[in-house]
Parts: sequence; structure tokens; C-alpha cells
Amino acid sequence: MSELSFFAQPIVQTRGAEGPRVVADTWYWQALETDASVPNSLTGPTVLNLATWLEQRGKLDDVGVPLGVRLTGEVVPEALAGHLEGLTLIAIEFPTFSDGRGFSVARYLRQQLGWQGELRATGDVLIDTVNYLARCGFDSFQLKPGHEPTLALQQLRWFTRPYQRGYAPLGQQEAA
Amino acid sequence: MYVYSEIDQELVDQRVEQFRDQTRRYLDGSLSDDDFKPLRLQNGLYIQRHAPMLRVAIPYGLLASGQLRTLATIARRWDRGYGHFTTRQNIQFNWPELEDVPDILAELAKVQMHAIQTSGNCIRNTTTDHFAGVAPDELINPLVWCEIIRQWSTFHPEFAFLPRKFKIAVSGAESDRAAVGVHDIGLQATRGEDGGIGFRVWVGGGLGRTPVLASLIQPFVPAAELLTYLEAVLRVYNLHGRRDNKYKARIKILVRDLTPQVFADQVDAEWRSNRNVASVLTQTEIDRIAARFTWPEYLTEASPDTVAAQAALEPEFARWLRTNTHAHRVEGYVAVSASLKASGVPPGDLTADQMDAVADLADRYSFGELRITHEQNLVFADVQRADLYAMWSALRALNLATPNIGLLTNIIACPGGDFCSLANAVSIPVAAAIQERFANIDYVHDIGELDLNISGCINACGHHHVGHIGILGVDKNGEEWYQVTVGGRQSGGLRPDLGDAFPKGGGGAAIGRIIGRAFSRDQIPDVVATLMTTYLEYRDSEAERFIDVVERIGLEPFKVAVYGEDQRGRRREVSHV
Repeated sequence: MSELSFFAQPIVQTRGAEGPRVVADTWYWQALETDASVPNSLTGPTVLNLATWLEQRGKLDDVGVPLGVRLTGEVVPEALAGHLEGLTLIAIEFPTFSDGRGFSVARYLRQQLGWQGELRATGDVLIDTVNYLARCGFDSFQLKPGHEPTLALQQLRWFTRPYQRGYAPLGQQEAA
Repeated sequence: MYVYSEIDQELVDQRVEQFRDQTRRYLDGSLSDDDFKPLRLQNGLYIQRHAPMLRVAIPYGLLASGQLRTLATIARRWDRGYGHFTTRQNIQFNWPELEDVPDILAELAKVQMHAIQTSGNCIRNTTTDHFAGVAPDELINPLVWCEIIRQWSTFHPEFAFLPRKFKIAVSGAESDRAAVGVHDIGLQATRGEDGGIGFRVWVGGGLGRTPVLASLIQPFVPAAELLTYLEAVLRVYNLHGRRDNKYKARIKILVRDLTPQVFADQVDAEWRSNRNVASVLTQTEIDRIAARFTWPEYLTEASPDTVAAQAALEPEFARWLRTNTHAHRVEGYVAVSASLKASGVPPGDLTADQMDAVADLADRYSFGELRITHEQNLVFADVQRADLYAMWSALRALNLATPNIGLLTNIIACPGGDFCSLANAVSIPVAAAIQERFANIDYVHDIGELDLNISGCINACGHHHVGHIGILGVDKNGEEWYQVTVGGRQSGGLRPDLGDAFPKGGGGAAIGRIIGRAFSRDQIPDVVATLMTTYLEYRDSEAERFIDVVERIGLEPFKVAVYGEDQRGRRREVSHV
């Protein structure tokens, strides 16, 4: 039996026609230090650890709830290649915001694996990193304690005409 | 000068507002020290031994007179009346207060300047040589390509939090004056088999604790693919560079640990499978950026050349011409160095008054522009021959005409222990002592070309590893001692054999070797003097430079001269780990 937690934390969501907004998280989160068994009762959308997702895929077809997977800092993203079907959300955890691997992992998932579902940044996510995260393909953000999600919305409005080509936030047209 | 578009200006203005907000949140306690640190570093702000230090970017070393006047204003208003030019073509102010920094950045933004990404684990200022665009031997104009890279790297969302800092240098010619062999990425312009322009890509060079020469990872990247290739290199580094140990986190460690072959293969695989097509450069795009520069409108009619006559009358002017003026690709024009290495002045420092005066000179004699060199001097790149005498007279009055460019007393020195909390030892007083000892300019000219570089600690910001003579401050039992290295060079050495699988060294760089046990500070001028007399003894002609003699006869005669035959006075060469 592996633990599930429900935080209902306010998160920043940019996905969807309503545009950037703060909503309560609807996902259940499998605890990180746990075995790779499928949680007993899945009552709502659930984010599984990568090990659980990869090992138990065969048993997860009829769970009847949306499923997500969480990647932690050391994970090699290629592990997900070919295993995206059935997922609604991928969460990438930042062990510290200055560990910038997650930005490249996001690019890999979006550009190379063609991931179209929700891509969430969790862990050490600051108001100040949301802008870069969005431009690497993240479309939802779980900010760390002490960082107010509504202030993050403001940061998303900066640097709207950046230098780099091919890094427009999801759903936005690239500036000409 | 590159003239900002509306978008360029908007980006720096927004950055100022972002940093103002971050500073406010830090000062009111809602942003922790740890969280604020990477953010302020990416705006060039260090908390230093005595006061914060602000590093302002001078992209590829190019400065307009109006910008220099603003730097003077900043030095006066928020600092102690001077600034320090660095070995990466930036300027540092050592005394601003944290609360004032947002206002300083706003002042800079008004003249199209900033402190963006001058520190932190991100892509730093892209540097080039100070004769970019005017040297006679260039295949490309490095200024344009540095601006292309500057734009690509500024606020790049994927590479803002690399394992460590990242430094790129661009050389526009086969003859490398940008030290491409000792940068994280060195780009050397070259022609492809079909005659098209592209770049040799050198990766994994660097100084610091573990000096290493770069490996040639890609012999030819077509110009249009420069940014897509850079992205591939950066992505491999971002994903696989070490993050467990700050001293093993540069890309040079990754290239070594993987081996250049494996590293090159990984970059190649990344490039082929995940190339960002949107980053491919079109000629239109390159031309658009080039067109935003103000290029000098050279006069073509010849004025009577009185320089030779004046030189015959004034030996000091003649001597200055020999060392401080340089060839220009346009007939009738010359590049002029202003030496910031006068005896008794910390190398690379300029007072606010000098800055204003230099700005005036740039307006009068050099199309309103100047360059900062990585040797901590200034260059007026486009001076008419007819103006040389007037230029020299004006520079002399400002104490900026010491005829020592390329010579012993043109010392490169980091700020050292007087200013920097990382330093083990002071460097500026050592430079001063050497300059005083070699005050005889005739002797210095007789010695000829000599690069002497001083670093106050193992981080090597003074680039001592690539000095013909390098001096490194070390801490032994709480005391300041100095190691001396000989035989380094930033370029121009044995050309790497480009037929090798992964040749090393860019434009022919070499790392100096320690000659023996360390010295106390007051011994250093004697040591340098002994090295000089040894050189003069052994050289086969005036044309044979110090570095030539070192490469011909090796270190042994110099070691014997300095330490004597006594073995106990010497120690085995220490290899860099």
C-alpha cells in the first residue's frame, strides 16, 4: 500500500482558454519514498512515481481516473519514451531551483517526445523562475512555500518579446 | 555601436523592474538569502569583502562615448570615483550599496547597458578581440557574431541554471586574439570546403583551478547553424555536467571525463535529433543585426602624412607608436591603445575624470567609440594617422600613454585580496612593485614582448596560466606567498594539428608551468629581474622573444638562475589536478 496525499495547494495554471490563473490542485500525489505498488483506492486524478508507472502500467488501464507521473532530479527522461500513453500529466521536480536540468527535460518531453499533456513544475519553484519555466514548456506551477502564486502571474507577463526562437510558452504564438 | 531596437530596450527595462522588485522582496524579508543569491548574481551583484561589487556588461568590449560618460556618472554618484576593467571585457564597481543597485541599473538602461548574466551559472558576456572589425586578417566581423550570440544567450530560458558559469569567445581570424583555446566554447571563424563561412568549435578550455586547453569538438559548423549547434552543446552540458561539486562542474570536466570523442558524439546526436529549426540563422537575420550597428564612415582622401616626421623629432612619440598603435584594414587608419598600466596605478582602473576625458577623445578621434581589451586596456579602433600626434599628446596628459602594450609592465592583474573575498593574496601591490622595478622604459622595450599576469588566488581571474610569466598568490599557513609559472601563452603557440582527431588549444594556447617553490611578496621583483637577465643572456637576437627562448631552451636554465643549483631550493613540478 503506498501513501497518497491530497494538498489542494493553489497552483498557477496557464493551460486552457481562460489563460493564466490560480486554481486549487486537484491531484493526489503518491509519496516519493514508497514501494512501486499501485495505491489501493484511486479516488481522483493521481500522480504516481516513475517506478510505479513503469512497473505497473499493465494494471493501470482500467483505473478510471486520470494518471500522472512525477520525475525527480536524477531521472533520465528517456525512461519515459514509449510510455506516455495513458498519462494526463507529467510533473518535474526541482530539487533546488538552481538545478536547471528540469528545463532541458521539459524541452525533451515537449520537442522530442511530442508530449501534449500538462507539464507541471514542482519542488523548488520560485515566483522568479516561472517565466523561464513557461517558455520551456511547463504549463502549471506549484510554487514553494513563501512564494505567492498570484505574484507569479505577474512574472508571466514580462519578457513577452524574448530573443530566443522556438521557446514560446504553450498556447502562445511566437513573436514575429 | 549596436543600437537597441524597441525590443532590446524593452528587455533591459523589464529586467530593471524585475530586479527592483526582487531587491524589495529581499529587503522586506520575503525572499531568502539563498533564493536571492542566484537572482542577484544574474544581475552582476556580488556581496564582497568590503561592499557589494557590481559587474556591468560591456558586450564584446565595445563602448560608445555616451555610455562611458554614464559609467563615469555611476562611479561618482554611487561609488568611489573609479571603475575597474576586467579580463572579460566588463567593468566592475566595488562600492555600491545594495539599495542603490536598481537605480544604477535603471541609469544603465537609459544608455543601453545592463548587468545581465555577468555572474551566476549562466551564459556570460561573449568576448572577442579588441581589434574586431578593424583587423586586416578577419574572415568575419566578430562584433556582429558576438551580438547574435548575446541575443541568443540573454534570458535564454533553458540555460539559466547551468552546473556552472559559461564563457564563450569568438575569434574572427585564423590568428586568434580572443583566447579561444581557454574558454568553455571558443569559436574560430573559418571557411568550409565549398568556401562558405563557418566556425571551428573548441569546447572545454578554461583557466582557474584546473587549467585545460579546449578540444576541437566540431571542425566546421556552417554559420547558419551556429545557434542550433550551441544549443546542442549547452543542452548536453545542462543535463550531464556535474552538480555535486562546484569545483568539478565546468564543461571542461565533462569533456575530459566523457572524453572528447564521446562528448562530441553526444552533442552530434542531440544536434541531429533535436535541432531547434527556429534558431537557424538566415542571411536576412544576420544582415538585420549587422545593420543595427553604427559603422564608421571612413574618409578616403589621403591627408599628408606627418607622422614619420614627428616621430623623428620626438623619440617618446616614436616609441609609443611602436607599441601602442596597431594595423587597421582601412588605409590611413590605425587602432590606438590607451594603456591603463601606468606605474603606480592598479591595472585596469580608470577614474571618472579619466573616463569623461577618454569619452571626449573617442568623440574627437574615433567615431565616438572605443573597446575594452581583455588585457584591461582600452583601444580606440579607428583613428586617422593624421590625428596620432594629437592623440598621443592628449593621452599623455591623462597618464594613459605609457608605451608598454605587449611589454612586461602591461601587467594583467585581478583585483586581488584588497577587493575580493576569494583571494588568498594581494595582487595589485605585486604589480606595483614590478612596475616600479622596471620603471626604465628603455629596458622594458629592450626586453620586448612579454605577458606577465597576476592572480590573487587559484581562481585565476588574472589569467596567470596563460602569461609568459604567471604569478599566483597562495596562502601558506596564513601567509601570502607567490608561485611563479613560465611558458604560458594565450595564443600563437604551436598550431594544433587539425588533422588530429581532437586537437587541443584553439589558437595555440599553452599553460605555464611552476618553476619551483613559492616566494614572498618582496622577492618577486628580483625573481622577475632574474628571469629577464637570463632571457637576455640566452636570446639569439633581439627578435627572439622571452617566450621563444623558453620554448627553445626549456625551463631549466631559468630555474637554475632563480633558485641556484641547490636541489633543496627547488621542488618537482606540480601538475594541475
